[in-house]
Amino acid sequence: MNPRGTVERYALPAALAGFAVLVILSLAVGDLRLDPLRIWNGLWHRDELAAVVLYQIRLPRMLVACLIGAALSSAGLMMQAYFRNSLASPGLLGVSSGGAAGAVVAIGLGWASQSILTIPVLAVVGAFVATGAVVMLARSGAGTERLLLAGIALNALLGAVTSYVLSNFTLSYERNAQIIFWLMGGLEDRSWEHVWIASPILIGAVLVWPLGRPMDLLSLGATEAQSLGVNVRVLRRRMLALATVLTALATAVAGTVGFVGLVVPHLLRLMVGPEHRRLVPLSLVGGAVFVMACDLIGRSAGNLRLGIVTSLVGGPFFLWLLRRKV
Amino acid sequence: MTMTPAITLRGVTVPGRLNDVNLSLGPGRLIGLVGPNGSGKSTLLQALCGLLPAQGEVLWNGRPLAGIPMLDRGRQVAWVAQEAHFEFGFTVRAVVGQGRYAHGDDGAGVDDALARMDLQGLANRPVNRLSGGERHRVLLARALATAAPVQVWDEALAALDVRHALKTLKLADELKRGGATVVLSLHDLRLAHCLDEVVVLSEGRLAAHGAPETVLTPELLMTVFGVTARPGPSLIIELP
Repeated sequence: MNPRGTVERYALPAALAGFAVLVILSLAVGDLRLDPLRIWNGLWHRDELAAVVLYQIRLPRMLVACLIGAALSSAGLMMQAYFRNSLASPGLLGVSSGGAAGAVVAIGLGWASQSILTIPVLAVVGAFVATGAVVMLARSGAGTERLLLAGIALNALLGAVTSYVLSNFTLSYERNAQIIFWLMGGLEDRSWEHVWIASPILIGAVLVWPLGRPMDLLSLGATEAQSLGVNVRVLRRRMLALATVLTALATAVAGTVGFVGLVVPHLLRLMVGPEHRRLVPLSLVGGAVFVMACDLIGRSAGNLRLGIVTSLVGGPFFLWLLRRKV
Repeated sequence: MTMTPAITLRGVTVPGRLNDVNLSLGPGRLIGLVGPNGSGKSTLLQALCGLLPAQGEVLWNGRPLAGIPMLDRGRQVAWVAQEAHFEFGFTVRAVVGQGRYAHGDDGAGVDDALARMDLQGLANRPVNRLSGGERHRVLLARALATAAPVQVWDEALAALDVRHALKTLKLADELKRGGATVVLSLHDLRLAHCLDEVVVLSEGRLAAHGAPETVLTPELLMTVFGVTARPGPSLIIELP
């Protein structure tokens, strides 16, 4: 068989193995290093110090990392099938910048201090408003080009809103620091509340599953897919809604984390081919692996923010792709 | 004898492209759609497949298209696009297998469709690495795999080399003998003798419809295409 056949067969087991290793490393690495035995004892509250570190800090952080990785990566996969372009990403339709703008407004106006839910809720609202606006703007025709152009326009607009709030509304250093957290994306101080807020991502992941096969057909052309029996309108609506929800939830708990939705599905497609029935589960696991790995790198390199690490990894990856394609 | 037409169009209009087209296409017929560039051939084919919004009425086997669920549509009518562009590197076999989507991806007839389009040797190649003509053969094979009784091929012959063009015509003839309705748009009027019916479009309107010898008169060729035609010596190319 061709080498790709081998990669295809072992890709999911390999991803799951990587997932397991990274879960353990995420729990082990930090100011207090925990060996697997201490992790085990800590999880069962037989080692109280380890238990505090695990339950207060590392477990929620690790779970949030897994959830947002799976969300961003599968949202990217859907966007790439939607736009029939392997370089599309969840940010294209303004979802991430909408979420960020919502969060920034919440912080800038001082609402954030009232409840831990304020920022996530406003981020989700912002993301939905952004996608809704893009879909409305592109309504007539609703072709992918119009959606893209509307997305670019909205991204610029939301960027302006964010910058305005950043430069004019906030007088306190603390609020500015909070805003920068959202704009750069990060997993510091993520608590169980954030895990609960992000937990609907699991439902989203289950809903993405059955879309794999029709996404295969859609990725080769909307009219073609329709002629073969795919209800393209319904499928597209579902994909758009799911990608928005997943990206919005991820942005709500970790700010804007770039490149995950672009890099992970793209890399997986290079490795196992374009069939979505294989790519959907792989992108869920692969996204979690990628974000956990980036978070580990950031933690080991003197607490670099997650958004910085994903961009540091994503940028060179892009250049490598460019070289490869020439 | 009254047979329900496989496809009926009543007053089908697509603003700016197609104007009040009325047409009935029967089962077991090989039908050619001709007309100058921009006369609305592709639009008409997509409208009769229900692939673009059109005013008027489209009926399949006497049933209004609007009432036919999407999956049923995929089993009844197969459409081959004029352009074969693939962004992702699915294998040839995978793309042809998509023809079975509406049949629950049962994979039936995929090998046969590959063989009919001479694609067995390319079955595991990524489709975005093929030549234009090869890609068209992949699309044709996918349409065959659907086993749909109505086959609509938009300029299927234009991209093919002479042998594959003749093979495809022969295949269309076999399908029609099996009771299928085969509609293909084409530019080469010299192939008209292979067809049962010719539909002529001109500036989005139906200019003529009937047997090739009665439709393609010197007057029509002059008014629609602006050409004259006369019998003369010609190279006869056939499959061995």
